Amino acid sequence: MSKIVQADAMDAFIEETEKLQKALPNKIDANPQNVEKGLAKLVLTLIELIRKLMEKQAMRRVEAGSLSEEEIERIGETLMKLENKMKELKGIFELKDEDLNLNLGPLGDLM
Amino acid sequence: MNIYIYGIIDFNEEMAEAITGLGGANIYNIPYRDIGALASDLDAPVRNTDEDRVLEHEMALEKIMKNFTILPMRFLTVFDKKDNVISMLNEHYSDFREDLDRLRDKVEFGIKTIWPGAIIRERIENAYRKAQDNLSSSTESPGKSFMKEKFGKYKIDKEFEEEADKCIAIIDDFLNRFVAEKRLEKLKTDNLLLDAAYLVDKEKQGDFKKAFEELKTSPGDLKYLFSGPWPPYNFVTKTNTRHDHE
Repeated sequence: MSKIVQADAMDAFIEETEKLQKALPNKIDANPQNVEKGLAKLVLTLIELIRKLMEKQAMRRVEAGSLSEEEIERIGETLMKLENKMKELKGIFELKDEDLNLNLGPLGDLM
Repeated sequence: MNIYIYGIIDFNEEMAEAITGLGGANIYNIPYRDIGALASDLDAPVRNTDEDRVLEHEMALEKIMKNFTILPMRFLTVFDKKDNVISMLNEHYSDFREDLDRLRDKVEFGIKTIWPGAIIRERIENAYRKAQDNLSSSTESPGKSFMKEKFGKYKIDKEFEEEADKCIAIIDDFLNRFVAEKRLEKLKTDNLLLDAAYLVDKEKQGDFKKAFEELKTSPGDLKYLFSGPWPPYNFVTKTNTRHDHE
């Protein structure tokens, strides 16, 4: 049984694999110096997951036409404030978007 | 002395062929009922970054799969004594038995496909923006503007995924005839259209490879990475068989 590994453009596949490795979540490095940041990262990742789910659900409802103009306005303002608050918190804890990534298995990455 | 486990086979006797595993250690069979766990003794701890050991693990599995159906164990599956290996076999026997029957004489092939994701996304974005430009725009509140922007992104992502689904369906159509099972993962990155594992009967692997060659000649700006045959890593029922690892 002979093993075959053949690719049209190996470099392109290596590049995509490297992108994936970067997207994988790092271990939480909890030590006395950075325990606050480590915990903030964990909590903000979960908030980001919930925020994205809310946003997606809102988009589905807009698409289905099941929201009134007033509801769109209200939800839009809420989501906008939530996004701004998240930006603020990420700034405080010096976290980047990619720090809050989560691999959701078959659903792909959060960020 | 720890015991390193390579996989579970449908055989409960001594190995006829000498196969070496990690650090050149001899691989032997630990029998349990009508199955066995292939093992070698481990003198020193192995780190999970040790590339040479990963290759030794994989090469041992390749040799074993020539003659046996094997349920490959994850790299670094280590037990501290034989009794614990037997306990693990006892605990998961029915899962192993079922998997060995399902995966008998089957091998895995991997196919990764890259498409020009950036170009496709740009095309979709341009078409969407153009359609939006034609709509009258009145002064909107910040909440509505925010929703409009997010909705645009949502629609573009959705169309991008729909294009990916269509393209994957075409690829899968070529290969599906010779496949027992498959695991398809879409758009792990914007460019990595498909990361697929196909389970193929050993007897049908020639047909599968031929179908892939046909697929490669079909039109489209796609790049492929084909690999295999592998042990059926992606088709083993996940069980927590880890007892201890270094």
